[in-house]
Parts: sequence; C-alpha cells; structure tokens
Amino acid sequence: MDRQRRAGFLFVLPAVLFFSGVFLVPLVQSVVGSFYRTRPGGASEFVGVRLYEKVLTDSTFWTSVSNTVSLLLMSVPTTVVLALAAALGLNRIGSLRWRNVWAAMFFLPFSASLVAAALIWQWIYDPVYGFLNFLLSLVGIPPQKWMQSLTQVRPSIAVVNVWVRLGFDTMIFLAALQSIPGEYWEAASIDGAGAWQRLRHITLPLLNPQIIMVCILELIFNFKIFDQVYATTQGGPASASQTVIMLLYDTAFKYFRMGDASVMAVFVFLTLLVVTLLQWRIFRKPVEY
Amino acid sequence: MANLPEAGRVLTVSAGPAGGRRAAAPSRAAAFRWLALLLVVCGAISAFFPFFWMAVTSLKTAPEIQRVPLQVFPDSWTNMQNYREVFTRHPFARYLLNSVLIASTAAVSSLVVSSLAGYGFAKFRFPGRDVFFFGIIGILMVPFQSVVVPLYGWVSRLGLLDTYLGIVAPDLVSVFGIFLMRQAIEVIPNDYIDAARIDGCSELQIFFRVVLPSVKPAIATLLIIKFMWNWNELFWPLIVVNSPTMRVVTMGLISFTNMYFIEYNLLTAAAVISVLPILLLFLTLQRWVVQAVVMSGLKG
Repeated sequence: MDRQRRAGFLFVLPAVLFFSGVFLVPLVQSVVGSFYRTRPGGASEFVGVRLYEKVLTDSTFWTSVSNTVSLLLMSVPTTVVLALAAALGLNRIGSLRWRNVWAAMFFLPFSASLVAAALIWQWIYDPVYGFLNFLLSLVGIPPQKWMQSLTQVRPSIAVVNVWVRLGFDTMIFLAALQSIPGEYWEAASIDGAGAWQRLRHITLPLLNPQIIMVCILELIFNFKIFDQVYATTQGGPASASQTVIMLLYDTAFKYFRMGDASVMAVFVFLTLLVVTLLQWRIFRKPVEY
Repeated sequence: MANLPEAGRVLTVSAGPAGGRRAAAPSRAAAFRWLALLLVVCGAISAFFPFFWMAVTSLKTAPEIQRVPLQVFPDSWTNMQNYREVFTRHPFARYLLNSVLIASTAAVSSLVVSSLAGYGFAKFRFPGRDVFFFGIIGILMVPFQSVVVPLYGWVSRLGLLDTYLGIVAPDLVSVFGIFLMRQAIEVIPNDYIDAARIDGCSELQIFFRVVLPSVKPAIATLLIIKFMWNWNELFWPLIVVNSPTMRVVTMGLISFTNMYFIEYNLLTAAAVISVLPILLLFLTLQRWVVQAVVMSGLKG
C-alpha cells in the first residue's frame, strides 16, 4: 500500500517540520550558542566553557536560582495539599449540581492570565490602600509592605501561584476521586476503618499517581515563573524576587548577552529534563494498592 | 488573602481525624458533611474574592479607592468612567483586536496541523512513524524559555519582529494538540475509513468527511485550550513586539503600571476587560473547558 504510506507521511509532515524548526533546531543552537561569546557588532567567537564558568560563578545567577527554589518550595506543597483537601471536600458534596457549582468557583482563577492575577493581587497587597492590610487592621495588626518587602515578597508571590493553580490541581484530583469505586470505602467502613484510616490507607494510595503527576507539573510550572514577577516587582525589591527566567529574559533582551542567556537556557533545560525523567521513572513503577 | 491558608488548614482536618471507629454514627456523618461543605464554601469564596475586588475597584473613582477607612462597595454601581478611560489612555481596543487575531489564528492553525498529524499517527503505518511521534512528545521536555534566544534570532532575520506572524509563529502547533487528536482519532473504527476508501474517496476527502466529523469534542477541546493559552500569553509577545500598536492584551495590562504610581481603578477595569472573554467562555462551556484543562495537564 504505497499510497497509504505516502499519505501517512504527508499527514504528519507539517507537524514534524514545525517542531524541528521551532524547537529542535533552536535547542541545538542554544547549546551551541552557550559556547560562543557575541562581540559588540555581531561577530561571535568560540570561548569553550568560559561562559559556563562565568554564569555558574556569578552570585546574581545563584540568587535567582535560590529565589526560584524558595518560591516553589512555598507554593508547590501548599497548592497540592490545599487541592487535595478541596477535592476531598468537593467529593463529599452529594448533589452533583452543587458540586459542579462550587468546583467552578475554585476553577475560576485559572481563566485569568498570570499577568492579570498578579496585578489584582498586587492591588490587594497594596501597603497603603490594599484590602489585606485593611483586614489586618481590623484585628490590630499594623500594615505590612508585602510585595515591597524583602522578606514578604516571595511568600506574597507564592500565594498568587497557589491561587492561580489550585483549581487546576483540584480538578485533576476530583476527576481521579470520582473514578474510585465507592465500594472500596464501604468495604473499609464495614471492616471498621475510621475516616482517617480510610484516607490514609485507601484514598491517598489510590491517588498516588495523580499526586505525583500534579507535584511534577507544579514543579515545572513554578520553576518557569516569569509573568507574575515581570508584571509586578520586576525582580525587586533588591532582586529578592529575581527568578531564573526573569534573569534569562533580562540577560538576553535587556543586556543582549546572548551567550550568557544561552548558558541559562541550557541550565533550565537540563534541570527540567531531570525532573521529567524522574517523573517517568516514578511512573513506571506500578502503584501498589 | 488571609482566608486562603486558613480555609485550607481546616479543610485538611475535615478530611482527616475524628478518627471515628466503626461506621460513624449517622449524626456524625451528617456533621462531617456539613463541615466539608462549610470549608469548601470558604475555599471557594477565597478563590472568588480577588475577582470581586477587581470588579468593585473598577467601578470606583481614584479618590474612592484612596479613602480611609477602606470602603468595600463603590459609590455608584454604574460608574463606567474607568472603562472609557482604559480605551482612551492606551489603544486598548487595538490590544484586544491583536489578541483575538493571534489567539484565533493559533487555535485554528493548531487544529488543522494537529488533526492532520493525529490522523497520520493514529491510522497509518509508514517508516519512521514512531520516531516522529515520540520525537514530538519529547518536545514536551523542552521548555520554551530555553529555545527563545535562537528563535528570536530567526524571527529577527526573517524580518518578522513586530508582526502578527512573528508573534504567533511559535504557537501555531502544540504538542498537546497532536497528542489529543491522535487519541481521539485512534478510536474511530477502521471499517469506516476503509469503507470510504472503497467508495473511492481520496485520503484528504476521508480526513474531512469521515475523520473530522467524528472527533468534534476533541476539536472543541483543542480550540478552547489553545485560545485560552494564547490569550493569556506574555513571554514571547514581550520579546518580539516593539511598537505600541502591536501589543497584546497582557502587555496592555502592564502598560497601566509603572514603578511609582499605579492607577488601580484603571488597571482593574482593564483587567476585567481582559479576563472577561475567557471567563465567559468558561461559564458557557464549563464542561468542555474543565475537560480541556484537565487533559492538557500533560503540557504543564
């Protein structure tokens, strides 16, 4: 069936060409580019691993890495735990209609762009006229500086991330919960398992694949954080919220040091590659019930 | 907002202890259900509040939002001054138009290329098929941010900086789309396709008359999610757009901010306008959107 072979090939060809052109070739160029330094004027020279030495010994770079990691350590566990709790709570609502209504509310923030989300929260955080400080003033706590404070800026941004992502994770957990046959819990109840035991020994193990998946997705999402920071603090105050992608963006498109930016691009690629491979390894293991 | 962690803390508890032995007494079970409901409600309100706050702020005047003590509701619920101002201060209508154009183009182009490829991968055997497919799935591991520098070089060399084509180029196809369409097309019975072949249809005719009509749900899913992604996109447009008239909505929002003084009454009005299309899409097509987003979990 020569006609069919050719047809199949032609059907996938546009997609293959697109991804080669937009991802594969540029990825190779990124790697190659990380060994070249661009001179002012456009000429570039091969410098070996000099740019790696330069970037990887630069404290600005490691500040941005540690900020990113500290941000994701705050937002990933919070999001996952809250989403689990929300899904368990939603799953207990008997009426399907009401469950959908409440689930929709959790999900709403996902429809806002990260830019809009971050800017709305920046207004809530406003040190002088913000709603949050107003709430605090009701219980006698003095106004905080939130996004303008060196110590509070990262938790403040982490809350935005949690707000945006909570609904998405909740949906994944809820879908998984609803596919668990009710008999499992009934059987356990009859055997005398309490609510806590049912949660620990039945629900959570059954949700294990989804929990791992959501953790990895959140890890990747939070590692690539850019929009929220760019729209609000621009990495400030005093680079307390400077993240890896923010630094990459500034290096490439503000200071036009493409070589340095390529080193960071390779770093981001390799880091996330490790995370993804880890995910695959974990997923290959069968889940034991 | 302070509510958020608080609601969560109690929520976790709701799922947990009380360590009731035996099948819990009916009254206790009922109490549990009420507790769960209460906490779900608290969580939902926390999720909803920022939208509410955005909406009420957009109806206030500049002096109103600076009132001490803070006043929750606007003086006039019909004050549209901020919304008018949004369109005169910046070419916001143009930003909306740009975003509509770009997001629709990305959605439609992604649909065309993905469904073609999905069909090819699902229903044909040819040398290299699996290599291509896993190669494309492997693209998921390449963060866009790590190819952005060379991509900028290409777009710039091709003279596409500051053009619609330049803005939309990297979003014309998505891995998720190919994956989704392949899954959907795979379950179409081969008999249908063979029957059409015997009737003398060309491969493209089969694609348009048999394959596409049987995967309408997947088509809707893909269109919705791609539109949403590209409407909300910031990173790439920021890089390729120079002139104010080519800005997209997310960039338009940022143009209402500056380091020293932000007019939040205008900013929130602009934010309402920017969020509204996706919100309406979500509210009218809730089932589809949720499905789309859950399935797209793959993409990350």
